[in-house]
Amino acid sequence: MHPPISLIWFFLTAGVSIGLFTFTYFMEFLILFGKNTAMPRQAVIISLVISLILIGLGAIGASFHLGHKMRAWKAIKRFHTSWLSREAVFSGVYGFVLFLYGLAYYFNANPFIQHSLGILTFVLGWLSAFSTAMIYASNKFVLEWNTSLTVLYYLNMYLMLGSSAFLSLTYFYRPEFIPTYLFLTFLFVSLGLAFRIAFNIRQFIIPRPTINEALNLPHNRPIRVLDTGTTTNNYCTEEFYYKKGKDLLGSVLPVAYILTFIVPLFLIVYAWITGNYNYNFFKIAFASLVLGSFLERWCFFVEGNHVQNLFYGLYPEEGYRLRKGYMERKKTVIRL
Amino acid sequence: MAQFALVIDLNTCVGCHACATNCKEWNTQAAFGPLSDFDPYGKEPQGVWYNRIMTYEMGEFPNTQVFHLPKSCLHCQDAPCVPVCPTGASYKREQDGIVLVNYDDCIGCKLCSWSCPYGCREFDEADKVMKKCTLCIDRIYDESLPPEHRKPACVLTCPAKARFFGDIEDPNSEVYRVIKERNGFVLFSDAGTNPGNHYLPRTETKVHVDEHLLKHDNPLFLEVLRRHHVGG
Repeated sequence: MHPPISLIWFFLTAGVSIGLFTFTYFMEFLILFGKNTAMPRQAVIISLVISLILIGLGAIGASFHLGHKMRAWKAIKRFHTSWLSREAVFSGVYGFVLFLYGLAYYFNANPFIQHSLGILTFVLGWLSAFSTAMIYASNKFVLEWNTSLTVLYYLNMYLMLGSSAFLSLTYFYRPEFIPTYLFLTFLFVSLGLAFRIAFNIRQFIIPRPTINEALNLPHNRPIRVLDTGTTTNNYCTEEFYYKKGKDLLGSVLPVAYILTFIVPLFLIVYAWITGNYNYNFFKIAFASLVLGSFLERWCFFVEGNHVQNLFYGLYPEEGYRLRKGYMERKKTVIRL
Repeated sequence: MAQFALVIDLNTCVGCHACATNCKEWNTQAAFGPLSDFDPYGKEPQGVWYNRIMTYEMGEFPNTQVFHLPKSCLHCQDAPCVPVCPTGASYKREQDGIVLVNYDDCIGCKLCSWSCPYGCREFDEADKVMKKCTLCIDRIYDESLPPEHRKPACVLTCPAKARFFGDIEDPNSEVYRVIKERNGFVLFSDAGTNPGNHYLPRTETKVHVDEHLLKHDNPLFLEVLRRHHVGG
Protein backbone atom coordinates (compact mmCIF):
# COMPACT_ATOMS: atom_id res chain seq x y z
CA MET A 1 0.00 0.00 0.00
CA HIS A 2 1.16 3.50 -0.74
CA PRO A 3 1.92 5.31 2.54
CA PRO A 4 0.07 8.63 2.84
CA ILE A 5 2.40 10.97 4.75
CA SER A 6 -0.53 13.00 6.09
CA LEU A 7 -1.93 9.93 7.84
CA ILE A 8 1.46 9.20 9.41
CA TRP A 9 1.54 12.82 10.55
CA PHE A 10 -1.91 12.40 12.12
CA PHE A 11 -0.75 9.25 13.88
CA LEU A 12 2.21 11.08 15.44
CA THR A 13 0.37 14.24 16.45
CA ALA A 14 -2.75 12.47 17.72
CA GLY A 15 -0.57 9.86 19.39
CA VAL A 16 1.48 12.37 21.37
CA SER A 17 -1.61 14.47 22.12
CA ILE A 18 -3.81 11.63 23.40
CA GLY A 19 -0.91 9.84 25.09
CA LEU A 20 0.30 12.97 26.84
CA PHE A 21 -3.20 13.93 27.96
CA THR A 22 -3.77 10.41 29.27
CA PHE A 23 -0.86 10.61 31.68
CA THR A 24 -1.48 14.26 32.55
CA TYR A 25 -5.05 13.53 33.49
CA PHE A 26 -4.12 10.22 35.10
CA MET A 27 -2.04 12.15 37.64
CA GLU A 28 -4.97 14.51 38.28
CA PHE A 29 -7.36 11.59 38.55
CA LEU A 30 -5.28 9.88 41.24
CA ILE A 31 -5.70 12.94 43.46
CA LEU A 32 -9.34 11.87 43.84
CA PHE A 33 -8.05 8.82 45.69
CA GLY A 34 -5.90 10.89 48.04
CA LYS A 35 -2.63 10.34 46.21
CA ASN A 36 -0.03 13.09 46.09
CA THR A 37 0.32 13.04 42.32
CA ALA A 38 -0.72 16.60 41.45
CA MET A 39 1.56 18.12 38.86
CA PRO A 40 2.30 21.84 39.26
CA ARG A 41 -0.32 23.99 37.59
CA GLN A 42 2.17 25.26 35.01
CA ALA A 43 3.09 21.71 33.95
CA VAL A 44 -0.57 20.71 33.46
CA ILE A 45 -1.30 23.83 31.42
CA ILE A 46 1.79 23.30 29.25
CA SER A 47 0.78 19.69 28.68
CA LEU A 48 -2.83 20.60 27.81
CA VAL A 49 -1.72 23.34 25.41
CA ILE A 50 0.70 20.95 23.67
CA SER A 51 -2.03 18.30 23.41
CA LEU A 52 -4.49 20.81 22.00
CA ILE A 53 -2.05 22.23 19.45
CA LEU A 54 -0.98 18.76 18.35
CA ILE A 55 -4.49 17.44 17.79
CA GLY A 56 -5.29 20.62 15.86
CA LEU A 57 -2.19 20.23 13.70
CA GLY A 58 -3.03 16.56 13.27
CA ALA A 59 -6.53 17.33 12.02
CA ILE A 60 -5.20 19.92 9.58
CA GLY A 61 -2.43 17.58 8.39
CA ALA A 62 -4.79 14.61 7.99
CA SER A 63 -7.04 16.63 5.70
CA PHE A 64 -4.19 16.82 3.18
CA HIS A 65 -4.83 13.26 2.06
CA LEU A 66 -8.38 14.21 1.11
CA GLY A 67 -9.23 15.20 -2.42
CA HIS A 68 -11.66 17.86 -1.20
CA LYS A 69 -10.51 19.32 2.11
CA MET A 70 -13.39 21.79 2.38
CA ARG A 71 -15.87 18.92 2.37
CA ALA A 72 -14.12 17.15 5.26
CA TRP A 73 -17.02 18.04 7.58
CA LYS A 74 -19.23 15.67 5.58
CA ALA A 75 -17.21 12.80 7.04
CA ILE A 76 -19.52 12.83 10.07
CA LYS A 77 -22.48 11.55 8.05
CA ARG A 78 -21.88 7.80 8.21
CA PHE A 79 -21.06 7.43 11.88
CA HIS A 80 -23.12 4.24 12.15
CA THR A 81 -21.09 2.28 9.58
CA SER A 82 -17.75 3.94 8.83
CA TRP A 83 -14.72 3.82 11.11
CA LEU A 84 -13.31 6.82 9.29
CA SER A 85 -16.46 8.74 10.12
CA ARG A 86 -16.18 7.67 13.77
CA GLU A 87 -12.53 8.71 13.83
CA ALA A 88 -13.41 12.13 12.45
CA VAL A 89 -16.18 12.62 15.00
CA PHE A 90 -14.28 11.32 18.02
CA SER A 91 -11.05 13.18 17.27
CA GLY A 92 -12.94 16.41 16.57
CA VAL A 93 -14.99 16.15 19.76
CA TYR A 94 -11.87 15.10 21.69
CA GLY A 95 -10.15 18.33 20.64
CA PHE A 96 -13.18 20.40 21.60
CA VAL A 97 -13.70 18.76 25.00
CA LEU A 98 -9.96 18.95 25.67
CA PHE A 99 -10.23 22.70 25.11
CA LEU A 100 -13.16 22.85 27.58
CA TYR A 101 -11.20 20.84 30.13
CA GLY A 102 -8.27 23.23 29.69
CA LEU A 103 -10.57 26.19 30.35
CA ALA A 104 -12.11 24.48 33.39
CA TYR A 105 -8.64 23.74 34.75
CA TYR A 106 -7.32 27.22 34.01
CA PHE A 107 -10.26 28.93 35.68
CA ASN A 108 -10.32 26.47 38.59
CA ALA A 109 -13.84 25.34 37.90
CA ASN A 110 -15.77 23.07 40.20
CA PRO A 111 -13.80 19.78 40.66
CA PHE A 112 -16.86 17.80 39.56
CA ILE A 113 -16.95 19.69 36.24
CA GLN A 114 -13.19 19.41 35.86
CA HIS A 115 -13.11 15.67 36.38
CA SER A 116 -16.24 15.04 34.31
CA LEU A 117 -14.60 16.87 31.40
CA GLY A 118 -11.29 15.13 32.05
CA ILE A 119 -12.83 11.66 31.99
CA LEU A 120 -14.85 12.56 28.90
CA THR A 121 -11.72 13.84 27.11
CA PHE A 122 -9.87 10.66 28.07
CA VAL A 123 -12.66 8.42 26.76
CA LEU A 124 -13.07 10.41 23.54
CA GLY A 125 -9.33 10.41 22.90
CA TRP A 126 -9.11 6.65 23.17
CA LEU A 127 -12.27 6.12 21.13
CA SER A 128 -10.63 8.24 18.45
CA ALA A 129 -7.45 6.14 18.64
CA PHE A 130 -9.48 2.93 18.53
CA SER A 131 -11.44 4.14 15.51
CA THR A 132 -8.25 5.03 13.64
CA ALA A 133 -6.79 1.61 14.37
CA MET A 134 -10.02 -0.06 13.25
CA ILE A 135 -9.83 1.64 9.84
CA TYR A 136 -6.83 -0.59 9.18
CA ALA A 137 -7.78 -3.62 11.24
CA SER A 138 -11.26 -3.91 9.72
CA ASN A 139 -9.94 -3.97 6.16
CA LYS A 140 -10.14 -7.68 5.42
CA PHE A 141 -8.53 -7.28 2.02
CA VAL A 142 -5.17 -6.23 3.45
CA LEU A 143 -4.40 -9.38 5.38
CA GLU A 144 -1.34 -7.95 7.14
CA TRP A 145 -3.59 -5.34 8.80
CA ASN A 146 -6.67 -7.44 9.34
CA THR A 147 -5.91 -8.54 12.91
CA SER A 148 -6.60 -7.43 16.46
CA LEU A 149 -2.81 -7.07 16.79
CA THR A 150 -3.09 -3.94 14.65
CA VAL A 151 -5.40 -2.36 17.22
CA LEU A 152 -3.46 -3.44 20.30
CA TYR A 153 -0.20 -2.31 18.76
CA TYR A 154 -1.65 0.98 17.60
CA LEU A 155 -3.05 1.85 21.03
CA ASN A 156 0.19 0.80 22.68
CA MET A 157 2.11 3.15 20.39
CA TYR A 158 0.02 6.04 21.74
CA LEU A 159 0.98 4.99 25.26
CA MET A 160 4.66 4.77 24.22
CA LEU A 161 4.59 8.28 22.81
CA GLY A 162 2.58 9.66 25.74
CA SER A 163 4.63 8.12 28.54
CA SER A 164 7.96 9.17 27.00
CA ALA A 165 6.66 12.72 26.47
CA PHE A 166 5.38 12.87 30.05
CA LEU A 167 8.79 11.70 31.27
CA SER A 168 10.22 15.08 30.25
CA LEU A 169 7.53 16.90 32.24
CA THR A 170 8.27 14.88 35.36
CA TYR A 171 11.97 15.71 34.97
CA PHE A 172 11.24 19.43 35.29
CA TYR A 173 8.24 19.45 37.61
CA ARG A 174 8.10 16.26 39.73
CA PRO A 175 11.52 14.48 39.58
CA GLU A 176 10.34 11.93 42.13
CA PHE A 177 8.07 10.44 39.45
CA ILE A 178 10.94 9.88 37.01
CA PRO A 179 11.46 6.20 38.01
CA THR A 180 7.72 5.54 37.65
CA TYR A 181 7.63 6.99 34.16
CA LEU A 182 10.90 5.34 33.23
CA PHE A 183 9.23 2.07 34.13
CA LEU A 184 6.03 2.90 32.23
CA THR A 185 7.97 3.97 29.13
CA PHE A 186 10.06 0.81 29.38
CA LEU A 187 6.89 -1.27 29.73
CA PHE A 188 5.09 0.26 26.73
CA VAL A 189 8.17 0.28 24.47
CA SER A 190 8.86 -3.37 25.35
CA LEU A 191 5.23 -4.27 24.67
CA GLY A 192 5.47 -2.32 21.41
CA LEU A 193 8.53 -4.30 20.41
CA ALA A 194 6.73 -7.55 21.19
CA PHE A 195 3.66 -6.51 19.19
CA ARG A 196 5.84 -5.40 16.27
CA ILE A 197 7.73 -8.68 16.19
CA ALA A 198 4.44 -10.59 16.38
CA PHE A 199 3.07 -8.42 13.55
CA ASN A 200 6.08 -9.25 11.38
CA ILE A 201 6.09 -12.95 12.20
CA ARG A 202 2.39 -13.15 11.40
CA GLN A 203 3.08 -11.97 7.87
CA PHE A 204 4.94 -15.18 7.18
CA ILE A 205 2.23 -17.50 8.46
CA ILE A 206 -1.05 -15.96 7.29
CA PRO A 207 -2.68 -18.09 4.62
CA ARG A 208 -2.94 -15.91 1.53
CA PRO A 209 -5.31 -16.19 -1.38
CA THR A 210 -3.87 -17.02 -4.77
CA ILE A 211 -4.58 -15.68 -8.22
CA ASN A 212 -6.64 -18.84 -8.83
CA GLU A 213 -8.92 -17.87 -5.96
CA ALA A 214 -9.15 -14.32 -7.21
CA LEU A 215 -10.17 -15.55 -10.65
CA ASN A 216 -12.25 -18.38 -9.17
CA LEU A 217 -10.43 -20.99 -11.21
CA PRO A 218 -9.35 -24.49 -10.15
CA HIS A 219 -6.28 -24.62 -7.94
CA ASN A 220 -4.43 -27.06 -10.17
CA ARG A 221 -4.25 -24.66 -13.10
CA PRO A 222 -1.11 -22.55 -13.22
CA ILE A 223 -2.07 -19.02 -14.23
CA ARG A 224 0.16 -16.27 -15.53
CA VAL A 225 -0.62 -12.64 -16.09
CA LEU A 226 0.14 -11.78 -19.71
CA ASP A 227 -1.20 -8.27 -19.91
CA THR A 228 -2.93 -5.90 -17.55
CA GLY A 229 -4.56 -3.80 -20.19
CA THR A 230 -2.29 -0.79 -19.86
CA THR A 231 1.39 -0.51 -20.56
CA THR A 232 2.06 1.69 -17.54
CA ASN A 233 1.00 1.84 -13.95
CA ASN A 234 -2.48 3.02 -13.07
CA TYR A 235 -4.23 4.21 -9.92
CA CYS A 236 -4.67 0.65 -8.65
CA THR A 237 -1.06 -0.40 -9.08
CA GLU A 238 0.30 2.84 -7.63
CA GLU A 239 -2.06 2.97 -4.64
CA PHE A 240 -1.93 -0.71 -3.74
CA TYR A 241 1.57 -1.65 -4.82
CA TYR A 242 4.27 0.88 -3.97
CA LYS A 243 7.26 -0.54 -5.78
CA LYS A 244 9.79 2.02 -4.56
CA GLY A 245 8.66 1.35 -1.00
CA LYS A 246 8.87 -2.42 -1.45
CA ASP A 247 12.45 -2.03 -2.63
CA LEU A 248 13.34 0.20 0.32
CA LEU A 249 11.49 -1.82 2.96
CA GLY A 250 14.41 -4.12 3.70
CA SER A 251 16.56 -1.12 4.66
CA VAL A 252 13.93 1.05 6.35
CA LEU A 253 12.38 -1.60 8.60
CA PRO A 254 15.59 -2.33 10.56
CA VAL A 255 16.16 1.42 11.03
CA ALA A 256 12.55 1.75 12.24
CA TYR A 257 13.11 -1.07 14.71
CA ILE A 258 16.32 0.51 16.01
CA LEU A 259 14.91 4.03 16.37
CA THR A 260 11.51 3.05 17.74
CA PHE A 261 12.53 0.38 20.17
CA ILE A 262 16.23 -0.28 20.58
CA VAL A 263 17.52 3.29 21.12
CA PRO A 264 14.74 4.35 23.56
CA LEU A 265 14.95 1.05 25.45
CA PHE A 266 18.72 1.34 25.76
CA LEU A 267 18.59 4.93 27.05
CA ILE A 268 15.73 4.28 29.44
CA VAL A 269 17.17 1.09 30.86
CA TYR A 270 20.54 2.80 31.23
CA ALA A 271 19.01 5.77 33.09
CA TRP A 272 16.87 3.44 35.18
CA ILE A 273 19.72 1.14 36.23
CA THR A 274 22.38 3.81 36.80
CA GLY A 275 20.00 6.37 38.28
CA ASN A 276 21.61 8.92 36.00
CA TYR A 277 18.53 10.97 35.10
CA ASN A 278 20.13 13.05 32.41
CA TYR A 279 17.53 15.10 30.53
CA ASN A 280 19.38 14.51 27.25
CA PHE A 281 18.60 10.79 27.57
CA PHE A 282 14.88 11.49 27.77
CA LYS A 283 15.03 14.03 24.96
CA ILE A 284 16.90 11.69 22.64
CA ALA A 285 14.68 8.74 23.60
CA PHE A 286 11.53 10.73 22.74
CA ALA A 287 12.99 12.11 19.51
CA SER A 288 14.14 8.64 18.49
CA LEU A 289 10.70 7.24 19.31
CA VAL A 290 8.94 9.87 17.20
CA LEU A 291 11.27 9.49 14.24
CA GLY A 292 11.22 5.71 14.51
CA SER A 293 7.42 5.70 14.74
CA PHE A 294 7.27 7.73 11.55
CA LEU A 295 9.39 5.13 9.76
CA GLU A 296 7.52 2.29 11.44
CA ARG A 297 4.17 3.62 10.18
CA TRP A 298 5.66 4.02 6.73
CA CYS A 299 6.71 0.37 6.85
CA PHE A 300 3.26 -0.62 8.13
CA PHE A 301 1.68 0.80 4.99
CA VAL A 302 4.29 -0.63 2.62
CA GLU A 303 4.04 -4.06 4.26
CA GLY A 304 0.30 -4.13 3.56
CA ASN A 305 -0.52 -6.17 0.46
CA HIS A 306 -3.96 -5.56 -0.97
CA VAL A 307 -5.61 -8.61 -2.51
CA GLN A 308 -6.52 -6.65 -5.63
CA ASN A 309 -2.81 -6.92 -6.52
CA LEU A 310 -3.51 -10.56 -7.34
CA PHE A 311 -5.16 -9.49 -10.59
CA TYR A 312 -1.90 -7.79 -11.57
CA GLY A 313 0.32 -10.62 -10.37
CA LEU A 314 1.75 -8.30 -7.69
CA TYR A 315 1.17 -10.34 -4.58
CA PRO A 316 3.71 -12.06 -2.30
CA GLU A 317 2.52 -15.50 -3.34
CA GLU A 318 3.01 -14.52 -6.94
CA GLY A 319 6.58 -13.50 -6.21
CA TYR A 320 6.14 -9.94 -7.43
CA ARG A 321 6.93 -11.11 -10.91
CA LEU A 322 5.79 -8.11 -12.84
CA ARG A 323 7.74 -4.91 -12.95
CA LYS A 324 6.87 -1.41 -13.94
CA GLY A 325 5.76 -1.32 -17.53
CA TYR A 326 4.57 -4.94 -17.43
CA MET A 327 5.95 -5.42 -20.91
CA GLU A 328 9.30 -6.84 -19.91
CA ARG A 329 9.97 -10.14 -21.57
CA LYS A 330 10.44 -12.98 -19.19
CA LYS A 331 13.59 -14.98 -19.83
CA THR A 332 12.70 -18.25 -21.47
CA VAL A 333 14.95 -21.11 -20.52
CA ILE A 334 14.77 -24.15 -22.74
CA ARG A 335 16.34 -27.30 -21.33
CA LEU A 336 16.81 -30.07 -23.85
CA MET B 1 -34.60 -7.08 -4.98
CA ALA B 2 -33.43 -6.29 -8.49
CA GLN B 3 -29.72 -6.48 -9.21
CA PHE B 4 -28.63 -5.12 -12.55
CA ALA B 5 -25.30 -6.53 -13.66
CA LEU B 6 -23.16 -7.63 -16.56
CA VAL B 7 -22.49 -11.21 -17.58
CA ILE B 8 -19.35 -11.73 -19.64
CA ASP B 9 -18.72 -14.81 -21.72
CA LEU B 10 -15.03 -15.66 -21.43
CA ASN B 11 -15.32 -18.02 -24.42
CA THR B 12 -16.33 -15.22 -26.70
CA CYS B 13 -14.35 -12.28 -25.37
CA VAL B 14 -11.40 -11.72 -27.68
CA GLY B 15 -9.75 -9.02 -25.60
CA CYS B 16 -10.17 -6.35 -28.26
CA HIS B 17 -10.62 -3.57 -25.66
CA ALA B 18 -13.60 -2.19 -27.56
CA CYS B 19 -15.71 -2.28 -24.37
CA ALA B 20 -13.08 -0.33 -22.45
CA THR B 21 -12.63 2.16 -25.24
CA ASN B 22 -16.32 2.76 -25.74
CA CYS B 23 -16.82 2.94 -21.97
CA LYS B 24 -14.20 5.66 -21.78
CA GLU B 25 -15.67 7.43 -24.77
CA TRP B 26 -19.24 7.41 -23.45
CA ASN B 27 -18.44 8.19 -19.85
CA THR B 28 -16.07 10.99 -20.72
CA GLN B 29 -18.76 12.90 -22.53
CA ALA B 30 -21.86 11.89 -20.62
CA ALA B 31 -23.35 12.66 -17.21
CA PHE B 32 -20.56 11.05 -15.18
CA GLY B 33 -17.61 12.45 -17.13
CA PRO B 34 -14.93 13.32 -17.63
CA LEU B 35 -12.53 10.46 -17.08
CA SER B 36 -9.29 12.37 -16.92
CA ASP B 37 -6.13 11.46 -18.80
CA PHE B 38 -2.65 12.33 -17.60
CA ASP B 39 0.46 12.69 -19.71
CA PRO B 40 -1.37 11.25 -22.74
CA TYR B 41 1.55 11.75 -25.13
CA GLY B 42 4.31 11.08 -22.63
CA LYS B 43 6.22 7.96 -21.76
CA GLU B 44 3.72 6.78 -19.20
CA PRO B 45 0.24 7.86 -20.24
CA GLN B 46 -2.28 7.25 -17.48
CA GLY B 47 -5.95 7.73 -17.15
CA VAL B 48 -9.12 6.85 -15.33
CA TRP B 49 -10.94 3.86 -16.74
CA TYR B 50 -14.13 2.24 -15.55
CA ASN B 51 -13.28 -0.95 -17.34
CA ARG B 52 -9.91 -2.66 -17.83
CA ILE B 53 -9.15 -5.87 -19.64
CA MET B 54 -6.65 -8.28 -18.16
CA THR B 55 -5.17 -11.14 -20.14
CA TYR B 56 -4.13 -14.39 -18.48
CA GLU B 57 -2.60 -17.61 -19.62
CA MET B 58 -3.80 -20.77 -17.93
CA GLY B 59 -2.32 -24.25 -17.97
CA GLU B 60 1.08 -25.58 -18.93
CA PHE B 61 2.69 -25.62 -22.32
CA PRO B 62 1.58 -26.94 -24.74
CA ASN B 63 -1.86 -27.20 -23.12
CA THR B 64 -2.34 -23.54 -22.42
CA GLN B 65 -5.29 -21.28 -22.90
CA VAL B 66 -5.29 -17.53 -23.03
CA PHE B 67 -8.36 -15.75 -21.79
CA HIS B 68 -9.29 -12.13 -21.42
CA LEU B 69 -11.00 -10.80 -18.34
CA PRO B 70 -12.79 -7.47 -18.68
CA LYS B 71 -13.12 -6.10 -15.15
CA SER B 72 -15.31 -3.17 -14.17
CA CYS B 73 -17.21 -2.51 -10.93
CA LEU B 74 -18.99 -5.74 -10.08
CA HIS B 75 -21.87 -3.96 -8.29
CA CYS B 76 -21.59 -6.33 -5.34
CA GLN B 77 -24.76 -7.22 -3.51
CA ASP B 78 -22.84 -6.81 -0.23
CA ALA B 79 -20.65 -4.01 -1.50
CA PRO B 80 -17.81 -3.45 1.03
CA CYS B 81 -17.11 0.00 -0.42
CA VAL B 82 -20.47 1.38 0.71
CA PRO B 83 -20.38 1.12 4.53
CA VAL B 84 -16.80 2.42 4.80
CA CYS B 85 -17.56 5.67 2.98
CA PRO B 86 -17.58 8.35 5.71
CA THR B 87 -19.84 10.75 3.82
CA GLY B 88 -22.38 8.42 2.24
CA ALA B 89 -21.14 9.49 -1.20
CA SER B 90 -20.79 5.83 -2.12
CA TYR B 91 -24.16 4.16 -2.13
CA LYS B 92 -26.09 1.22 -3.52
CA ARG B 93 -29.41 1.91 -5.16
CA GLU B 94 -32.23 -0.21 -3.75
CA GLN B 95 -34.28 -0.26 -6.94
CA ASP B 96 -31.64 -1.83 -9.19
CA GLY B 97 -28.58 -2.65 -7.04
CA ILE B 98 -26.28 -0.29 -8.95
CA VAL B 99 -23.44 1.09 -6.82
CA LEU B 100 -22.76 4.77 -7.47
CA VAL B 101 -20.61 7.59 -6.17
CA ASN B 102 -22.12 11.02 -5.60
CA TYR B 103 -19.25 13.25 -6.75
CA ASP B 104 -20.64 16.22 -4.80
CA ASP B 105 -20.30 14.37 -1.50
CA CYS B 106 -17.06 12.47 -2.17
CA ILE B 107 -14.19 13.89 -0.14
CA GLY B 108 -11.57 11.78 -1.93
CA CYS B 109 -10.40 9.82 1.14
CA LYS B 110 -9.89 6.70 -1.07
CA LEU B 111 -11.14 4.37 1.67
CA CYS B 112 -13.72 2.82 -0.66
CA SER B 113 -10.96 1.75 -3.04
CA TRP B 114 -9.06 0.26 -0.10
CA SER B 115 -12.06 -1.89 0.77
CA CYS B 116 -12.71 -3.13 -2.78
CA PRO B 117 -10.98 -6.49 -3.34
CA TYR B 118 -11.24 -6.13 -7.11
CA GLY B 119 -9.53 -2.78 -7.68
CA CYS B 120 -12.54 -1.47 -9.54
CA ARG B 121 -12.53 2.08 -8.24
CA GLU B 122 -10.19 4.72 -9.53
CA PHE B 123 -9.31 8.09 -8.08
CA ASP B 124 -9.50 10.93 -10.57
CA GLU B 125 -6.61 13.26 -9.74
CA ALA B 126 -8.16 16.03 -11.82
CA ASP B 127 -11.56 16.04 -10.13
CA LYS B 128 -10.20 14.72 -6.80
CA VAL B 129 -13.06 12.25 -6.43
CA MET B 130 -13.41 8.51 -6.67
CA LYS B 131 -14.89 7.22 -9.91
CA LYS B 132 -16.26 3.86 -10.95
CA CYS B 133 -18.49 2.07 -13.42
CA THR B 134 -22.09 3.29 -13.25
CA LEU B 135 -23.44 0.54 -15.50
CA CYS B 136 -24.22 3.50 -17.78
CA ILE B 137 -27.15 4.42 -15.60
CA ASP B 138 -27.53 7.53 -17.73
CA ARG B 139 -28.17 5.31 -20.77
CA ILE B 140 -30.25 2.50 -19.35
CA TYR B 141 -32.93 4.83 -17.97
CA ASP B 142 -32.88 7.31 -20.82
CA GLU B 143 -36.35 7.11 -22.35
CA SER B 144 -35.31 9.23 -25.29
CA LEU B 145 -33.24 6.28 -26.52
CA PRO B 146 -34.84 3.38 -28.37
CA PRO B 147 -35.31 0.42 -25.98
CA GLU B 148 -32.60 -1.67 -27.65
CA HIS B 149 -30.09 1.11 -26.95
CA ARG B 150 -30.88 1.32 -23.24
CA LYS B 151 -27.89 -0.80 -22.34
CA PRO B 152 -24.39 -0.01 -21.07
CA ALA B 153 -22.03 1.28 -23.74
CA CYS B 154 -19.72 -1.73 -23.33
CA VAL B 155 -22.55 -4.17 -24.06
CA LEU B 156 -23.66 -2.29 -27.15
CA THR B 157 -20.16 -2.05 -28.59
CA CYS B 158 -18.86 -5.57 -27.94
CA PRO B 159 -18.17 -6.91 -31.46
CA ALA B 160 -18.10 -10.51 -30.23
CA LYS B 161 -21.40 -10.17 -28.33
CA ALA B 162 -19.63 -11.45 -25.25
CA ARG B 163 -21.50 -9.22 -22.84
CA PHE B 164 -25.02 -9.50 -21.50
CA PHE B 165 -26.84 -7.00 -19.34
CA GLY B 166 -29.92 -7.33 -17.19
CA ASP B 167 -31.40 -8.16 -13.81
CA ILE B 168 -29.62 -11.26 -12.50
CA GLU B 169 -32.39 -11.73 -9.89
CA ASP B 170 -35.16 -11.88 -12.48
CA PRO B 171 -35.76 -15.50 -13.58
CA ASN B 172 -37.19 -14.25 -16.89
CA SER B 173 -34.08 -12.31 -17.84
CA GLU B 174 -31.46 -13.44 -20.31
CA VAL B 175 -28.66 -12.92 -17.77
CA TYR B 176 -30.40 -15.11 -15.20
CA ARG B 177 -30.79 -17.84 -17.80
CA VAL B 178 -27.19 -17.81 -19.05
CA ILE B 179 -25.81 -17.79 -15.51
CA LYS B 180 -27.89 -20.85 -14.61
CA GLU B 181 -27.38 -22.73 -17.87
CA ARG B 182 -23.69 -22.11 -18.25
CA ASN B 183 -22.51 -22.11 -14.63
CA GLY B 184 -21.79 -18.42 -14.37
CA PHE B 185 -19.23 -17.65 -11.69
CA VAL B 186 -18.04 -14.56 -9.84
CA LEU B 187 -14.56 -13.26 -9.08
CA PHE B 188 -13.12 -13.86 -5.61
CA SER B 189 -16.16 -15.71 -4.34
CA ASP B 190 -14.48 -16.12 -0.93
CA ALA B 191 -14.38 -12.36 -0.40
CA GLY B 192 -18.00 -12.42 0.76
CA THR B 193 -19.00 -9.51 -1.44
CA ASN B 194 -21.51 -11.40 -3.56
CA PRO B 195 -20.74 -9.59 -6.82
CA GLY B 196 -23.47 -8.85 -9.33
CA ASN B 197 -21.32 -9.22 -12.44
CA HIS B 198 -20.84 -12.83 -13.48
CA TYR B 199 -18.51 -14.56 -15.93
CA LEU B 200 -19.31 -17.56 -18.07
CA PRO B 201 -16.45 -20.07 -17.79
CA ARG B 202 -14.34 -21.13 -20.72
CA THR B 203 -14.95 -24.51 -22.20
CA GLU B 204 -11.66 -26.28 -21.78
CA THR B 205 -10.11 -27.87 -24.82
CA LYS B 206 -7.32 -30.43 -24.74
CA VAL B 207 -4.60 -29.94 -27.29
CA HIS B 208 -3.07 -33.11 -28.64
CA VAL B 209 0.23 -32.57 -30.39
CA ASP B 210 1.00 -35.07 -33.09
CA GLU B 211 4.58 -35.45 -34.19
CA HIS B 212 3.70 -35.09 -37.84
CA LEU B 213 2.12 -31.72 -37.15
CA LEU B 214 5.33 -30.30 -35.81
CA LYS B 215 7.71 -28.39 -37.98
CA HIS B 216 11.25 -29.67 -37.64
CA ASP B 217 12.68 -26.19 -37.79
CA ASN B 218 10.61 -25.14 -34.79
CA PRO B 219 13.13 -24.13 -32.09
CA LEU B 220 10.84 -25.74 -29.54
CA PHE B 221 10.57 -29.00 -31.50
CA LEU B 222 12.65 -31.10 -29.12
CA GLU B 223 11.05 -29.50 -26.08
CA VAL B 224 7.57 -30.32 -27.35
CA LEU B 225 8.56 -33.88 -28.14
CA ARG B 226 10.15 -34.35 -24.75
CA ARG B 227 7.14 -33.01 -22.88
CA HIS B 228 4.78 -34.97 -25.07
CA HIS B 229 6.53 -38.27 -24.43
CA VAL B 230 7.43 -37.70 -20.81
CA GLY B 231 4.01 -36.31 -20.12
CA GLY B 232 5.47 -33.23 -18.50
